[in-house]
Amino acid sequence: MTNSCSSVSTVLEKYFDQEVTDEERFLVEGHLQDCQACRDVLKSMEELRTLVRVPVEEAVRNEDFPWVWQKIEREIRLQEKRTWWQSLRSWLDITPFFKKKVWIPALATVVVLLLITTQIILKKTPSYPDASVVEYVESQNDNVMVYQLEEPKVTVIWLFEGPEEERTTI
Amino acid sequence: MNREEDEIISRCQQGDQQALKEIFDKYHKKVYGIAYGVVRQREEALDVVQEVFLKLFRSIKNFKGRSHFYTYLYRMVMNTAIDHKRKAGKQFMSSLDEEGSFEPSEEAEKGPERILLQKELEERVRLAIDKLPDEQRAALIFRDVEGLSYQEMAEAMGCSIGTVMSRLHYGRKRMQESLKDYVKLHARSHGASAAEGLGQADKEGEGR
Repeated sequence: MTNSCSSVSTVLEKYFDQEVTDEERFLVEGHLQDCQACRDVLKSMEELRTLVRVPVEEAVRNEDFPWVWQKIEREIRLQEKRTWWQSLRSWLDITPFFKKKVWIPALATVVVLLLITTQIILKKTPSYPDASVVEYVESQNDNVMVYQLEEPKVTVIWLFEGPEEERTTI
Repeated sequence: MNREEDEIISRCQQGDQQALKEIFDKYHKKVYGIAYGVVRQREEALDVVQEVFLKLFRSIKNFKGRSHFYTYLYRMVMNTAIDHKRKAGKQFMSSLDEEGSFEPSEEAEKGPERILLQKELEERVRLAIDKLPDEQRAALIFRDVEGLSYQEMAEAMGCSIGTVMSRLHYGRKRMQESLKDYVKLHARSHGASAAEGLGQADKEGEGR
Protein backbone atom coordinates (compact mmCIF):
# COMPACT_ATOMS: atom_id res chain seq x y z
CA MET A 1 0.00 0.00 0.00
CA THR A 2 1.19 3.49 -0.76
CA ASN A 3 0.68 6.67 1.20
CA SER A 4 -2.24 7.64 -0.96
CA CYS A 5 -3.99 4.42 0.08
CA SER A 6 -4.90 6.05 3.37
CA SER A 7 -6.85 8.75 1.55
CA VAL A 8 -8.78 6.09 -0.39
CA SER A 9 -9.21 3.50 2.37
CA THR A 10 -12.07 5.38 3.99
CA VAL A 11 -14.14 5.20 0.82
CA LEU A 12 -12.88 1.90 -0.59
CA GLU A 13 -15.57 -0.12 1.18
CA LYS A 14 -18.24 2.37 0.11
CA TYR A 15 -16.92 2.00 -3.43
CA PHE A 16 -17.20 -1.77 -3.14
CA ASP A 17 -20.80 -1.40 -1.93
CA GLN A 18 -21.58 1.07 -4.73
CA GLU A 19 -22.44 3.82 -2.28
CA VAL A 20 -19.91 6.45 -3.40
CA THR A 21 -20.54 9.82 -5.02
CA ASP A 22 -19.22 10.44 -8.54
CA GLU A 23 -16.34 12.40 -7.09
CA GLU A 24 -15.38 9.56 -4.74
CA ARG A 25 -15.65 7.02 -7.54
CA PHE A 26 -13.29 9.08 -9.67
CA LEU A 27 -10.81 9.28 -6.79
CA VAL A 28 -10.92 5.53 -6.05
CA GLU A 29 -10.75 4.39 -9.66
CA GLY A 30 -7.81 6.68 -10.31
CA HIS A 31 -5.99 5.20 -7.34
CA LEU A 32 -6.83 1.58 -8.17
CA GLN A 33 -5.08 1.82 -11.54
CA ASP A 34 -1.74 2.13 -9.77
CA CYS A 35 -2.30 0.20 -6.55
CA GLN A 36 -2.24 -3.59 -6.49
CA ALA A 37 -2.75 -3.71 -2.70
CA CYS A 38 -6.06 -1.87 -2.85
CA ARG A 39 -7.16 -4.00 -5.81
CA ASP A 40 -6.45 -7.04 -3.63
CA VAL A 41 -8.48 -5.61 -0.78
CA LEU A 42 -11.40 -5.19 -3.15
CA LYS A 43 -10.85 -8.69 -4.48
CA SER A 44 -10.89 -10.12 -0.98
CA MET A 45 -14.16 -8.36 -0.20
CA GLU A 46 -15.66 -9.77 -3.38
CA GLU A 47 -14.48 -13.25 -2.49
CA LEU A 48 -15.90 -12.96 0.99
CA ARG A 49 -19.23 -11.83 -0.42
CA THR A 50 -19.26 -14.85 -2.71
CA LEU A 51 -18.49 -17.20 0.16
CA VAL A 52 -21.37 -15.82 2.18
CA ARG A 53 -23.88 -15.47 -0.62
CA VAL A 54 -23.47 -18.55 -2.81
CA PRO A 55 -24.59 -21.17 -0.26
CA VAL A 56 -27.66 -19.06 0.52
CA GLU A 57 -28.55 -18.73 -3.16
CA GLU A 58 -28.17 -22.47 -3.62
CA ALA A 59 -30.33 -23.20 -0.59
CA VAL A 60 -33.07 -20.88 -1.88
CA ARG A 61 -32.88 -22.45 -5.36
CA ASN A 62 -33.18 -25.97 -4.00
CA GLU A 63 -36.09 -25.32 -1.67
CA ASP A 64 -39.68 -26.25 -2.40
CA PHE A 65 -41.85 -23.62 -0.77
CA PRO A 66 -45.51 -24.55 -1.39
CA TRP A 67 -45.59 -26.97 1.53
CA VAL A 68 -44.22 -24.22 3.77
CA TRP A 69 -47.30 -22.14 2.99
CA GLN A 70 -49.52 -25.14 3.68
CA LYS A 71 -47.92 -25.48 7.11
CA ILE A 72 -48.47 -21.79 7.82
CA GLU A 73 -52.11 -22.04 6.73
CA ARG A 74 -52.66 -25.08 8.95
CA GLU A 75 -51.09 -23.31 11.89
CA ILE A 76 -53.31 -20.24 11.41
CA ARG A 77 -56.38 -22.48 11.39
CA LEU A 78 -55.21 -24.19 14.59
CA GLN A 79 -54.68 -20.84 16.26
CA GLU A 80 -58.17 -19.76 15.27
CA LYS A 81 -59.67 -22.63 17.29
CA ARG A 82 -59.07 -20.99 20.60
CA THR A 83 -60.66 -21.42 23.99
CA TRP A 84 -63.38 -18.97 25.12
CA TRP A 85 -60.89 -17.43 27.53
CA GLN A 86 -58.33 -16.79 24.77
CA SER A 87 -61.09 -15.36 22.58
CA LEU A 88 -62.19 -13.06 25.38
CA ARG A 89 -58.65 -11.89 25.97
CA SER A 90 -58.14 -11.28 22.29
CA TRP A 91 -61.46 -9.40 22.14
CA LEU A 92 -60.42 -7.25 25.08
CA ASP A 93 -57.19 -6.54 23.27
CA ILE A 94 -58.80 -5.35 20.07
CA THR A 95 -61.87 -3.52 21.43
CA PRO A 96 -60.77 0.10 21.93
CA PHE A 97 -63.16 0.63 24.84
CA PHE A 98 -61.60 -2.25 26.69
CA LYS A 99 -58.00 -1.41 25.95
CA LYS A 100 -55.93 -1.96 29.07
CA LYS A 101 -55.45 1.76 29.47
CA VAL A 102 -59.20 2.12 29.88
CA TRP A 103 -60.41 -0.98 31.61
CA ILE A 104 -57.80 -1.23 34.33
CA PRO A 105 -58.55 2.26 35.78
CA ALA A 106 -62.28 1.65 35.24
CA LEU A 107 -62.13 -1.64 37.12
CA ALA A 108 -60.10 -0.04 39.89
CA THR A 109 -62.69 2.75 40.24
CA VAL A 110 -65.54 0.25 40.47
CA VAL A 111 -63.69 -1.75 43.15
CA VAL A 112 -63.00 1.38 45.20
CA LEU A 113 -66.62 2.52 44.93
CA LEU A 114 -67.82 -0.93 45.98
CA LEU A 115 -65.53 -0.89 49.00
CA ILE A 116 -66.75 2.54 50.08
CA THR A 117 -70.41 1.59 49.63
CA THR A 118 -69.93 -1.66 51.52
CA GLN A 119 -68.32 0.21 54.38
CA ILE A 120 -71.29 2.56 54.57
CA ILE A 121 -73.82 -0.26 54.41
CA LEU A 122 -72.03 -2.37 56.99
CA LYS A 123 -71.66 0.51 59.45
CA LYS A 124 -73.56 -0.13 62.68
CA THR A 125 -77.01 1.19 62.13
CA PRO A 126 -80.05 1.02 64.45
CA SER A 127 -81.72 -2.39 64.44
CA TYR A 128 -84.95 -0.82 63.43
CA PRO A 129 -85.10 0.30 59.85
CA ASP A 130 -86.54 3.70 59.03
CA ALA A 131 -86.42 4.62 62.68
CA SER A 132 -85.50 8.07 63.77
CA VAL A 133 -84.15 9.03 67.17
CA VAL A 134 -86.63 11.18 68.97
CA GLU A 135 -84.72 11.64 72.18
CA TYR A 136 -81.51 10.58 73.84
CA VAL A 137 -80.98 11.11 77.55
CA GLU A 138 -77.71 10.49 79.39
CA SER A 139 -77.14 10.16 83.14
CA GLN A 140 -74.24 8.94 85.29
CA ASN A 141 -75.57 5.35 85.48
CA ASP A 142 -78.15 4.88 82.70
CA ASN A 143 -78.77 6.16 79.19
CA VAL A 144 -82.11 6.18 77.40
CA MET A 145 -82.74 6.39 73.70
CA VAL A 146 -86.24 6.80 72.22
CA TYR A 147 -86.89 5.70 68.60
CA GLN A 148 -90.04 6.17 66.62
CA LEU A 149 -91.01 4.22 63.49
CA GLU A 150 -93.28 5.69 60.81
CA GLU A 151 -94.77 2.43 59.54
CA PRO A 152 -96.06 0.71 61.65
CA LYS A 153 -96.43 3.28 64.33
CA VAL A 154 -94.10 1.90 67.00
CA THR A 155 -92.10 3.62 69.71
CA VAL A 156 -88.95 1.96 70.98
CA ILE A 157 -87.37 2.95 74.26
CA TRP A 158 -83.81 1.69 74.57
CA LEU A 159 -82.48 1.69 78.11
CA PHE A 160 -78.73 1.31 78.71
CA GLU A 161 -78.37 0.31 82.36
CA GLY A 162 -74.60 -0.11 82.43
CA PRO A 163 -71.63 -0.81 80.17
CA GLU A 164 -72.51 -4.52 79.83
CA GLU A 165 -76.32 -4.51 80.05
CA GLU A 166 -78.93 -3.06 77.83
CA ARG A 167 -82.68 -3.58 77.57
CA THR A 168 -85.20 -2.72 74.97
CA THR A 169 -88.88 -2.02 75.55
CA ILE A 170 -91.44 -1.79 72.80
CA MET B 1 -44.38 1.21 -0.97
CA ASN B 2 -46.62 0.94 -4.01
CA ARG B 3 -50.38 1.22 -3.98
CA GLU B 4 -50.95 -2.45 -4.76
CA GLU B 5 -48.81 -3.51 -1.82
CA ASP B 6 -50.54 -0.94 0.39
CA GLU B 7 -53.84 -2.52 -0.46
CA ILE B 8 -52.57 -6.06 0.26
CA ILE B 9 -51.15 -4.96 3.61
CA SER B 10 -54.38 -3.22 4.51
CA ARG B 11 -56.35 -6.39 3.74
CA CYS B 12 -53.90 -8.44 5.77
CA GLN B 13 -54.30 -6.03 8.68
CA GLN B 14 -58.01 -6.84 8.62
CA GLY B 15 -57.23 -10.55 8.94
CA ASP B 16 -57.47 -11.54 5.29
CA GLN B 17 -55.53 -14.79 4.96
CA GLN B 18 -55.40 -14.54 1.18
CA ALA B 19 -53.56 -11.23 1.54
CA LEU B 20 -50.98 -12.97 3.73
CA LYS B 21 -50.58 -15.56 0.99
CA GLU B 22 -49.86 -12.77 -1.49
CA ILE B 23 -47.21 -11.35 0.84
CA PHE B 24 -45.77 -14.84 1.25
CA ASP B 25 -45.62 -15.33 -2.52
CA LYS B 26 -43.76 -12.08 -2.94
CA TYR B 27 -41.29 -12.31 -0.07
CA HIS B 28 -40.80 -15.94 0.96
CA LYS B 29 -37.50 -16.37 -0.91
CA LYS B 30 -36.04 -13.23 0.61
CA VAL B 31 -37.25 -14.26 4.05
CA TYR B 32 -35.76 -17.72 3.63
CA GLY B 33 -32.52 -16.23 2.31
CA ILE B 34 -32.05 -14.01 5.35
CA ALA B 35 -33.07 -16.79 7.73
CA TYR B 36 -30.73 -19.27 6.06
CA GLY B 37 -27.95 -16.67 6.07
CA VAL B 38 -28.22 -16.48 9.85
CA VAL B 39 -28.93 -20.05 10.92
CA ARG B 40 -27.26 -21.90 8.00
CA GLN B 41 -29.47 -24.93 8.58
CA ARG B 42 -32.30 -25.85 6.23
CA GLU B 43 -34.82 -27.06 8.83
CA GLU B 44 -34.13 -24.16 11.16
CA ALA B 45 -34.43 -21.65 8.34
CA LEU B 46 -37.78 -23.13 7.30
CA ASP B 47 -39.00 -22.93 10.90
CA VAL B 48 -37.99 -19.28 10.93
CA VAL B 49 -39.94 -18.64 7.70
CA GLN B 50 -43.05 -20.24 9.20
CA GLU B 51 -42.71 -18.35 12.46
CA VAL B 52 -42.13 -15.03 10.71
CA PHE B 53 -45.30 -15.26 8.60
CA LEU B 54 -47.40 -16.33 11.57
CA LYS B 55 -45.95 -13.49 13.60
CA LEU B 56 -46.56 -11.10 10.72
CA PHE B 57 -50.21 -12.15 10.46
CA ARG B 58 -50.70 -11.48 14.18
CA SER B 59 -48.80 -8.22 14.35
CA ILE B 60 -49.19 -6.57 10.96
CA LYS B 61 -51.84 -4.28 12.44
CA ASN B 62 -48.93 -2.57 14.24
CA PHE B 63 -47.32 -1.65 10.94
CA LYS B 64 -48.07 2.05 10.46
CA GLY B 65 -46.37 2.53 7.11
CA ARG B 66 -43.71 4.86 8.48
CA SER B 67 -40.98 2.72 6.87
CA HIS B 68 -40.89 0.44 3.85
CA PHE B 69 -42.82 -2.73 4.46
CA TYR B 70 -39.90 -4.93 3.38
CA THR B 71 -37.52 -3.33 5.89
CA TYR B 72 -40.16 -3.94 8.59
CA LEU B 73 -40.40 -7.55 7.45
CA TYR B 74 -36.63 -8.06 7.15
CA ARG B 75 -36.11 -6.74 10.64
CA MET B 76 -38.68 -9.23 11.91
CA VAL B 77 -36.90 -12.05 10.05
CA MET B 78 -33.51 -11.08 11.41
CA ASN B 79 -34.76 -10.89 15.00
CA THR B 80 -36.62 -14.19 14.71
CA ALA B 81 -33.63 -15.94 13.15
CA ILE B 82 -31.27 -14.64 15.83
CA ASP B 83 -33.72 -15.77 18.54
CA HIS B 84 -33.89 -19.22 16.95
CA LYS B 85 -30.16 -19.40 16.87
CA ARG B 86 -29.89 -18.47 20.53
CA LYS B 87 -32.53 -21.01 21.54
CA ALA B 88 -30.89 -23.75 19.52
CA GLY B 89 -27.60 -22.94 21.26
CA LYS B 90 -25.19 -25.82 21.27
CA GLN B 91 -27.31 -27.88 18.91
CA PHE B 92 -25.76 -25.85 16.15
CA MET B 93 -22.21 -26.54 17.19
CA SER B 94 -20.65 -28.93 14.81
CA SER B 95 -17.85 -31.39 15.32
CA LEU B 96 -15.51 -28.91 13.67
CA ASP B 97 -16.39 -26.35 16.26
CA GLU B 98 -15.90 -28.80 19.10
CA GLU B 99 -12.37 -29.33 17.91
CA GLY B 100 -11.75 -25.67 18.47
CA SER B 101 -10.00 -24.69 15.27
CA PHE B 102 -10.26 -25.83 11.72
CA GLU B 103 -7.30 -27.60 10.17
CA PRO B 104 -7.92 -28.70 6.59
CA SER B 105 -6.63 -32.19 5.98
CA GLU B 106 -3.79 -32.80 3.55
CA GLU B 107 -6.15 -35.07 1.61
CA ALA B 108 -8.52 -32.21 1.11
CA GLU B 109 -5.88 -30.36 -0.84
CA LYS B 110 -5.90 -32.96 -3.57
CA GLY B 111 -8.15 -32.45 -6.60
CA PRO B 112 -10.56 -35.41 -6.07
CA GLU B 113 -11.30 -34.15 -2.58
CA ARG B 114 -12.69 -30.89 -3.83
CA ILE B 115 -16.25 -31.77 -2.84
CA LEU B 116 -15.16 -32.49 0.67
CA LEU B 117 -13.25 -29.25 0.67
CA GLN B 118 -16.35 -27.42 -0.47
CA LYS B 119 -18.33 -28.93 2.42
CA GLU B 120 -15.61 -27.92 4.81
CA LEU B 121 -15.60 -24.44 3.37
CA GLU B 122 -19.35 -24.09 3.89
CA GLU B 123 -18.98 -25.27 7.45
CA ARG B 124 -16.12 -22.89 8.01
CA VAL B 125 -18.10 -19.95 6.66
CA ARG B 126 -21.04 -20.92 8.84
CA LEU B 127 -18.85 -21.00 11.92
CA ALA B 128 -17.29 -17.67 11.01
CA ILE B 129 -20.76 -16.15 10.66
CA ASP B 130 -21.81 -17.76 13.96
CA LYS B 131 -18.95 -16.02 15.72
CA LEU B 132 -20.01 -12.56 14.59
CA PRO B 133 -21.93 -10.34 16.98
CA ASP B 134 -25.62 -10.19 16.01
CA GLU B 135 -25.47 -6.67 14.58
CA GLN B 136 -22.45 -7.38 12.40
CA ARG B 137 -23.98 -10.62 11.17
CA ALA B 138 -27.19 -8.80 10.29
CA ALA B 139 -25.26 -6.10 8.40
CA LEU B 140 -23.25 -8.65 6.45
CA ILE B 141 -26.29 -10.66 5.42
CA PHE B 142 -28.43 -7.65 4.55
CA ARG B 143 -25.66 -6.25 2.36
CA ASP B 144 -23.79 -9.24 0.94
CA VAL B 145 -26.70 -11.66 0.62
CA GLU B 146 -29.72 -9.46 0.05
CA GLY B 147 -27.94 -6.49 -1.51
CA LEU B 148 -29.73 -3.83 0.55
CA SER B 149 -28.41 -0.29 0.33
CA TYR B 150 -26.96 1.42 3.40
CA GLN B 151 -30.17 3.45 3.69
CA GLU B 152 -32.37 0.35 3.58
CA MET B 153 -30.13 -1.40 6.08
CA ALA B 154 -30.31 1.56 8.44
CA GLU B 155 -34.11 1.38 8.23
CA ALA B 156 -34.20 -2.38 8.79
CA MET B 157 -31.72 -2.26 11.66
CA GLY B 158 -33.08 0.90 13.25
CA CYS B 159 -29.75 2.74 13.30
CA SER B 160 -27.81 5.41 11.40
CA ILE B 161 -25.99 4.88 8.12
CA GLY B 162 -22.69 5.49 9.93
CA THR B 163 -23.48 2.65 12.32
CA VAL B 164 -24.39 0.40 9.40
CA MET B 165 -21.02 1.10 7.75
CA SER B 166 -19.16 0.45 10.96
CA ARG B 167 -20.96 -2.86 11.59
CA LEU B 168 -20.35 -3.95 8.04
CA HIS B 169 -16.68 -3.02 8.18
CA TYR B 170 -15.97 -4.86 11.43
CA GLY B 171 -18.10 -7.83 10.36
CA ARG B 172 -16.08 -8.22 7.17
CA LYS B 173 -12.82 -7.81 9.02
CA ARG B 174 -13.72 -10.56 11.47
CA MET B 175 -14.84 -12.83 8.67
CA GLN B 176 -11.57 -12.34 6.84
CA GLU B 177 -9.66 -13.14 10.01
CA SER B 178 -11.70 -16.28 10.65
CA LEU B 179 -11.33 -17.52 7.08
CA LYS B 180 -7.76 -16.58 6.30
CA ASP B 181 -6.28 -20.07 6.86
CA TYR B 182 -8.84 -21.67 4.67
CA VAL B 183 -8.57 -19.10 1.94
CA LYS B 184 -4.82 -19.65 1.58
CA LEU B 185 -5.44 -23.35 1.08
CA HIS B 186 -8.36 -22.67 -1.20
CA ALA B 187 -6.18 -20.45 -3.35
CA ARG B 188 -3.54 -23.16 -3.67
CA SER B 189 -5.98 -25.90 -4.52
CA HIS B 190 -7.91 -23.83 -7.04
CA GLY B 191 -5.00 -22.20 -8.80
CA ALA B 192 -5.63 -18.59 -9.56
CA SER B 193 -8.80 -18.48 -7.54
CA ALA B 194 -10.32 -15.22 -6.52
CA ALA B 195 -9.95 -16.54 -3.00
CA GLU B 196 -6.28 -15.68 -3.23
CA GLY B 197 -7.30 -12.13 -2.53
CA LEU B 198 -8.34 -12.84 1.01
CA GLY B 199 -5.02 -14.38 1.99
CA GLN B 200 -2.99 -11.85 0.07
CA ALA B 201 -4.87 -8.91 1.50
CA ASP B 202 -4.31 -10.39 4.89
CA LYS B 203 -0.54 -10.53 4.30
CA GLU B 204 -0.60 -6.96 3.12
CA GLY B 205 -2.49 -6.03 6.22
CA GLU B 206 0.14 -7.68 8.41
CA GLY B 207 2.88 -5.80 6.61
CA ARG B 208 1.24 -2.42 7.18
